[in-house]
Amino acid sequence: MKFLRTLICAIGLTSASLVPAASAEDGKLGVVATFSIIGDFARVVGGDRIELRTLVSADSDAHVYEPRPADAIALARADVVLTNGLLFEGFMERLVEASGTTAEAAVLTKGANIVNDPEGGHYHYVDGKAIFHATPNDPHAWQSVANAQIYVRNIAEAFCKADTAGCDTYRANVEAYQKQLIELDADIKKAIADIPEDRRVAVVAHNAFRYFERDYGIQFLSPQGISTESEASAADVAALIREIREKRAAAVFAENISDARLVEQIASEAGLTLGGTLYSDALSPEAGPAANYLDMMRHNVWTLVTAINGE
Amino acid sequence: MRRFILGVSTLALTVGLTGPVAFAEEDVTLYRVFVGDHEAGKITAFDLGEPDKRWSFETTGQVKLYSVDEGAAIVAVQSNNDVVNFIDSGISLHAHGDHSDIDIEDPKAVEASLTGPRPFHVIDHDGKVVINFDRGGYNEIVDAHELSDGELESTRLPQARAHHGFAAPIGKHWVTTVASDAPVEGDASPKRVGMQTVKEDGTPVGEVATCTGIHGEAFSGAFLAAGCDEGVLTVTAGSDAPTFKMLNYASDLPAGGKTGTLLGAKSMQVFLGNYGAKGLVVVDPADEPHFRYIELPFRRIDFALDPANARFGYVLTEDGSLHQVDVLDGKVAKSEKVTEPYSMDGHWNDPRPRIAMAGDEIVMSDPKAGLVRRIAKDTLQEAGTIKVEGMPYNIAVAGGSGKVHEGEEGHDHSHDGGHAHDKGHDHAHDHGDEKVYKGYFEDSQIKDRPLSDYAGDWQSVYPHLKDGTLDPVWEHKAESGDKTADEWKAYYDTGYKTDVERITIEGDVVTFYRDGQPVEGHYAYDGYEILTYEKGNRGVRFIFKKTEGGDDAPAFIQFSDHRIAPEVTDHYHLYWGDDRAAILEELTNWPTYYPSSLKADEIVHEMIAH
Repeated sequence: MKFLRTLICAIGLTSASLVPAASAEDGKLGVVATFSIIGDFARVVGGDRIELRTLVSADSDAHVYEPRPADAIALARADVVLTNGLLFEGFMERLVEASGTTAEAAVLTKGANIVNDPEGGHYHYVDGKAIFHATPNDPHAWQSVANAQIYVRNIAEAFCKADTAGCDTYRANVEAYQKQLIELDADIKKAIADIPEDRRVAVVAHNAFRYFERDYGIQFLSPQGISTESEASAADVAALIREIREKRAAAVFAENISDARLVEQIASEAGLTLGGTLYSDALSPEAGPAANYLDMMRHNVWTLVTAINGE
Repeated sequence: MRRFILGVSTLALTVGLTGPVAFAEEDVTLYRVFVGDHEAGKITAFDLGEPDKRWSFETTGQVKLYSVDEGAAIVAVQSNNDVVNFIDSGISLHAHGDHSDIDIEDPKAVEASLTGPRPFHVIDHDGKVVINFDRGGYNEIVDAHELSDGELESTRLPQARAHHGFAAPIGKHWVTTVASDAPVEGDASPKRVGMQTVKEDGTPVGEVATCTGIHGEAFSGAFLAAGCDEGVLTVTAGSDAPTFKMLNYASDLPAGGKTGTLLGAKSMQVFLGNYGAKGLVVVDPADEPHFRYIELPFRRIDFALDPANARFGYVLTEDGSLHQVDVLDGKVAKSEKVTEPYSMDGHWNDPRPRIAMAGDEIVMSDPKAGLVRRIAKDTLQEAGTIKVEGMPYNIAVAGGSGKVHEGEEGHDHSHDGGHAHDKGHDHAHDHGDEKVYKGYFEDSQIKDRPLSDYAGDWQSVYPHLKDGTLDPVWEHKAESGDKTADEWKAYYDTGYKTDVERITIEGDVVTFYRDGQPVEGHYAYDGYEILTYEKGNRGVRFIFKKTEGGDDAPAFIQFSDHRIAPEVTDHYHLYWGDDRAAILEELTNWPTYYPSSLKADEIVHEMIAH
């Protein structure tokens, strides 16, 4: 009886319903991607040669993600693990330890053009609480399309190592995708050019857009500063509102992964309306406007241009 | 001796962080064991690496020990003696993103204690230690960070009826167990029926979520979980109110069992609970299957979860075997005999071993042998024994690992006592990736500031509080906080209170106005002091010393304005007096000044804008 129960447990564990990923049983390459944007890149590069599991799903914030047993099990079985790095996935170290995985974790920002973060980090807003994410280098490197090209090349390298037979396919997939990325980059630049130069200022709560700012010239304002006492946030917001007025910021934007209350408050204080939702650290679900990376970037640009030029 | 450790975590997954660090460092691991006697009112403490050096603490009676606030404090609950003692473990860990600071001192008893009818369950969550008084009908909520300063500050959360239960913070809310209204005989504890959201003052909010016989609670990830007759009740914070969900025991679990003790993993969202006398159950609060049963060969004595690696739990059974449980596989991975048998027949509080995790080892009290045994967690082989006088029983561990930088030892860290001390942040070295974390900043970011940062004509906000102008601010704060508008007002009344209604600062002259009468002094910069607040965050006081002026002008003034480097301020808190050190101790009264040019409604506006 005891044996039987153990056996049932064991079967339960290996069932596909629990872990729809990362097993070599069907000959596919088992891939775990830490969050949805990397997941999309992996799908583009791997096509149907890979079995993909994405840990942090659409519209979710990797910074506050709580890993689950199923994630550890998926990691344990994975052939390739894809991560952003730059302290973006704070949960990964302990999850890797718990899983005992031997798969190599590829760091996709390797070789990318990284923004050094002098402030040491940025705020996340969850359930009305500000959580400071300390990172010496800005991890949101995918907001630069040039960096996205590095990401997909790094993915192809990682796949090639684990599956030499598929290497040509992976490289061909990257080749085709690079063309779309180059086109995307040009389209973004063209769209931003339509915004008068002195109006290229937007406001967000969680500043995940420094790469976008660097590459495309839209300045993003967000609450900054060192909070040492509870009142600090009042001063931060007050300072931000002054900055919004000084720089004549055109619009305030919500983010798909963040609580919108703070930006709603900032917008009302500054006498601006919410210009829509930008996708920063996660894609939208399948039916949404940003279900893959290309759509996400196009949606963000369209949202920015429409809100700023339309006001 | 105080040692300061900077642990740089080995994030194998990150690249491009910094170049090689330019200073020598040494790995240090320190675990401090606290063990209570089964009979005598006594706690013995020692470091695993140096067990001959002992500390001893007297208590009233037998203790159950809890290591709280990341091991910064030990709670000693004496249920039969109606008292709870606290010990500052002497070890504090401060996580700063990718590194930790560890501060090591001798353990010290906190002078104050809590007394009340039958204290029992202890919850340690979110900087709060919550102790249920089973026959008092309330919980005491203790501020965990105060304990490591040797102080005891608590507030009371009353329950509708006294019972063997608990209360816990979840997000911005509180929940408590609820007892049935049915009468009981004698001093029997009433039946427990479920859990309910309450305000911090105990006022119920919403319905009671059923959880028959609720007992055993733990936190893991986003979840609080509690054992019930019908399953495990989970609670998540939600943005507006806690969400309750009952996970009914699956039909493939042995009939008649239930969970009454739960442990929550730290590095993965999962719980390990007891189930029946001979079983354990892995509870996955988010994904199905929610339950996986692990049968043990003998009845269970005690179990623990590894905080470092959530994959493994350890359980001792009455035959004297220790088992390593694989939480992911849902089975016993390894078993070894570690002590003589201890039968589970008899009373639950008879002397039997207890286990706790200490890094790479499990420490186990062995009451009959008068020992604490050290057992390697990977092989389950004994790594050593430590003799402890009497009958060692309940056990708790504080400590961790980190890196010590050469030259840090003996570094001058002034400790000015009370609340106002700097917890080992004086890293004199330059470690390349300076960063700020949750209100923490590195000392090297702090820069001296001129008095001109505060130049101008300033008004006290206290009169606006008194005449009700600021009431909308308190109402606004009450909407999202855990205090009512009146409580906020009272809090700020204490904070803002002052008879100096106006201050002007021009050049080096500061003029204070009381009832329109000016008193002026000349002031010169006198350095800054760093304060660590109860929540563990820090602030900087910029201090100016009187160089000339009337006796009525204070000898020292200290500005606090949430800034740590030169920048013209927009409002500030000012502390003043003649004793530089004593002013630093002042943390409850912080007269606050806004520009005199601001109208009352503009101040309200500024204050609400956060």
